[in-house]
Amino acid sequence: MKKIIALLLALVMVVGLCACSVSKTEETKPAETKAAETNAPAETQAAAPEAAPVEISLWTYPIGKWTDEATVSALLADFNAAYPNITVKVEYLDYTNGDDKVNTAIEGGQAPDIVMEGPERLIANWGAKGLMVDLKDIVPAGTYDSIISSCTSANGEVYEMPVCMIAHCMAINRDVFEAAGALQYLNEETHTWNSVDDFFKAVQAVYDAGYDYVGTIYCGGQGGDQGTRALITNVSGGTYANAEHTEYTYASQENAEGLARLYAQDGINFDTAIVASDEIQNFVNGTFQMAFCWNISQEVNNADALGFDVLPMAFPSDTTPSLQGGIWGFGVFNNGDAAKIEAAKTFIKFMTEDDAQYTKAVEATTFAPVRDVDGIYATNELFPEYSLLSPLMGDYYQITKGWTQARTEWWNMLQRVDASDGSVEAILAEMTAAQDAANAAAAE
Amino acid sequence: MAKNNVQYSKKQRRLVMQENIAAYLFLLPFLVFFVGFVLYPMFMCIYTSFFDATMGREDIFVGFENYKALFQDEVFWIALKNTMVIVLVSVPITCIFSLWVASAISKMPVAATSAFRCIFYLPVVTGSVAVTMVWKWMFNNYYGIFNYLGKDVLGILDKPINWLGDPKYALGCIILILLTTSVGQPIVLYVSALDNVDKSLVEAAEVDGATPKQAFWKIKWPQMMPTTLYILVITTINSFQCFALIQLLTSGGPKNSTMTIMYYIYYNAFKLYKYGYGNAMGVILAIIIAILSAIQFKAGQEK
Amino acid sequence: MKNFNRLDAEQRRARIYSVFSWILICVIAFTFLFPLYWIITGSFKTKQEILSSTPVWVPSDWVMTNYQNLMSKRSAPLFQLSAFGYTITGPTVPAAIRWLINTVVMSVSSMLLTCLTASMAGYALAKKRFYGRTILFSLIVCAMALPKQVILIPLLREMSALGLYDTIWAVIIPIVGWPFGVFLLKQFAEGIPTEMVEACRIDGASEWRTFTDVMFPMIKPGVGACAIFTFINSWNDYFMQLIMLMGTDKLTISVGIATMQGENSTDFGILMAGSALASVPIIIVFLVFQKYFTKGITMGAVKG
Repeated sequence: MKKIIALLLALVMVVGLCACSVSKTEETKPAETKAAETNAPAETQAAAPEAAPVEISLWTYPIGKWTDEATVSALLADFNAAYPNITVKVEYLDYTNGDDKVNTAIEGGQAPDIVMEGPERLIANWGAKGLMVDLKDIVPAGTYDSIISSCTSANGEVYEMPVCMIAHCMAINRDVFEAAGALQYLNEETHTWNSVDDFFKAVQAVYDAGYDYVGTIYCGGQGGDQGTRALITNVSGGTYANAEHTEYTYASQENAEGLARLYAQDGINFDTAIVASDEIQNFVNGTFQMAFCWNISQEVNNADALGFDVLPMAFPSDTTPSLQGGIWGFGVFNNGDAAKIEAAKTFIKFMTEDDAQYTKAVEATTFAPVRDVDGIYATNELFPEYSLLSPLMGDYYQITKGWTQARTEWWNMLQRVDASDGSVEAILAEMTAAQDAANAAAAE
Repeated sequence: MAKNNVQYSKKQRRLVMQENIAAYLFLLPFLVFFVGFVLYPMFMCIYTSFFDATMGREDIFVGFENYKALFQDEVFWIALKNTMVIVLVSVPITCIFSLWVASAISKMPVAATSAFRCIFYLPVVTGSVAVTMVWKWMFNNYYGIFNYLGKDVLGILDKPINWLGDPKYALGCIILILLTTSVGQPIVLYVSALDNVDKSLVEAAEVDGATPKQAFWKIKWPQMMPTTLYILVITTINSFQCFALIQLLTSGGPKNSTMTIMYYIYYNAFKLYKYGYGNAMGVILAIIIAILSAIQFKAGQEK
Repeated sequence: MKNFNRLDAEQRRARIYSVFSWILICVIAFTFLFPLYWIITGSFKTKQEILSSTPVWVPSDWVMTNYQNLMSKRSAPLFQLSAFGYTITGPTVPAAIRWLINTVVMSVSSMLLTCLTASMAGYALAKKRFYGRTILFSLIVCAMALPKQVILIPLLREMSALGLYDTIWAVIIPIVGWPFGVFLLKQFAEGIPTEMVEACRIDGASEWRTFTDVMFPMIKPGVGACAIFTFINSWNDYFMQLIMLMGTDKLTISVGIATMQGENSTDFGILMAGSALASVPIIIVFLVFQKYFTKGITMGAVKG
């Protein structure tokens, strides 16, 4: 027995040693030991005279293919060809545990150097806590004028270099809707519903065709709550926050009526055990006939598993639908190490300045670019279809103060509504309670 | 020994010194870890609970504000209630169930006894994450096995139940999973306790015409008291610590129906960044556990 | 005669009861085994079979896709050793393999460290008279009942101040500091006659020799129990691992699988493959050392 184990161990070690590589330790220690350490390698590294090696960390949320290892490795290879001295260590986050991980790491003193996410986290959350670096000096003047205000905090500092954007939409299983005769209620050309009433008729038609789960209001957590927010405010014509982004306004009579109508509709169920990612999977595998948390990235990432024709749709509205925008970009954490901040900025500039590289970076997100570039998505078949929805993008209210608290309040409110009798009064009461708590956080 | 110090001669005192030094040298490796990473954090926990501590700024002293806020926090009370429900339901069930299983399997042939003991212990070694994942699938609203059994096989349900998404059932489901992962150790303990019962006493009682029932309660049960006490204590600690189940299955929802103190501490610390508040909650929980353990020990000693 | 009848009825009832309990135990045992069966078969099912609302009891065709997906999802170096400014980096392997290695290294090191520190401390507490003994012992008993979650925030801050956050040590150290092992071995050492220790001392053996040559061999069964407890506890110590580890190459298998859940919420195929990978090794260890496990558990209780 012992001999066998010893033999196995030896084998493993030999294989391991043959395939392993020896490299110099990169800069990973905190700032104070830095001077001593960088001296040693610098002497032996004559090839790069003034570029001391730096290791920075990049954490990405699932933004299109930015959590796909192969895609990101290719982008990093481009970067390292130009800057061999900067090592980028990547960690991939998800929307279920990602925030906890970043928050733990911040408290653990190991916040990432670069994080790729949207303004709701970079500005309203970590930016507001003073943890981010102002990126004004690397944002070229004039290029991002239309969008930069969404990436700027209340004190005028830019905490996010925008990379891409998209209008979040919903989607339907076109095959099922066609079979149920529900396509008459929508316009396939413009990807809009004829009216709110027609949306409910369509749901009823699909339900009557034998599908219990047409659409699901998921509220097991905050993940993908843009879908439920947009659905409710569009159906009712209400608002979520005021135009100045200082206060939440969703506890209104019309929003309560809209939600009550959804509550009462056959085929629309509440599910307090799932979040958007579950909803998407249930839509992709045919359990649900509609997804409220959809965008081009979902269709690209689930291309293999989709066994039916997906039709992206705007949310049902009696006026012009107002879609939730998503903006994503890079933010830099202030870790108190000037060399790392510099390297992080170098990385961001590299990914965003040059048109060819920017195209690659954006195409990896599968979303739309935030500045004009020629020839982007030239070979992508889905992109033109989804671009039709972009003009419907509404107010980017996710940077309202107290956003983290407000999100939590929102899904908890939906859970309470699910347990209520579904009357307008009950819903309005729950909405008001949630809104008060959110506004209290916004006022802090 | 220390009180009589005065009467010690020089040599004796030197010996006492030596003994002390030796003892502390033996204790040193453990004390480094224990004091540094258990006692010190405990002290810091109490200390920080008097501060408004959050991310990205210095802590601010607030006195008892955190505790005051805690007692006004509705969710805290719900969490406390749920935690107590979990403990008060799962501890007695675990004890009674494992006693029953143990007494049934201990009468079986040796091979069967050890096979069953092994099976009941399996969920413990499988690990909380793997167990949670598979139960999550079995409880799934759309293609879980429970809805299939209830609806299509037994016909009890006319409509699938969203087990983990329904405030009526979610906590029950959590307790059920907790039970399967916590009976393993008590069963092993009871089996060996039953083996160790003084056989001659039982035989003597049977000769005297005692029924098996009487023999069990009058002879065996008192001898198993220490084991029962031990089981009570470990199961209580175990139920308090149930965290992975909540975090991976329900995140405290729906409608806070599965929110426990343990998860609420985590939630406050890493979602709302209220470190001081989380610590205050930890202190309260520690006090509750201390009281409960004290009661259990007292009860055990009296018997 | 009457008496015989009574016994007869009694015996009959006892027999019925024992048959009945046999059946019931079998049914319950089956439900205990079922989740494990579901994990293993689930990991070999196709997507359609997993999502079917009528459960597929046995996969019709055992596919490896779930394992392939699990393995190709994330990668990490097999190992990393750094010393004197140089880092030896192993070949890149699927992250799940690295997670398994991390878990083994972590569990074994906490087991060895705990056994060493706890047997020394247990001996001192049981056989030495020293100042502060009562206080120390009551602190140990108190700390044992306390859930670790209570101290998570200060512990995290402490680990980060020491630069140990996101290293394996941040998980190992709290386990070694946890006083259960000391408590257990103190009870064991108390059972060893003091005369034996004293005889050894009188023969002129040093304190350390007394411990290694006399004490340690006598409390070996207790050390075994302590080792088993620590190993299982650290293998399944999800909470500390979740808080203290972050990097893909630092995770343990439990946290790794939990992370996968965040990414593939309802892809139960990949989750079952991960769960199988996390649980099967330890189940095998358990089955092989089953006798020692049960012995260890009971000894822990009897002495504790």
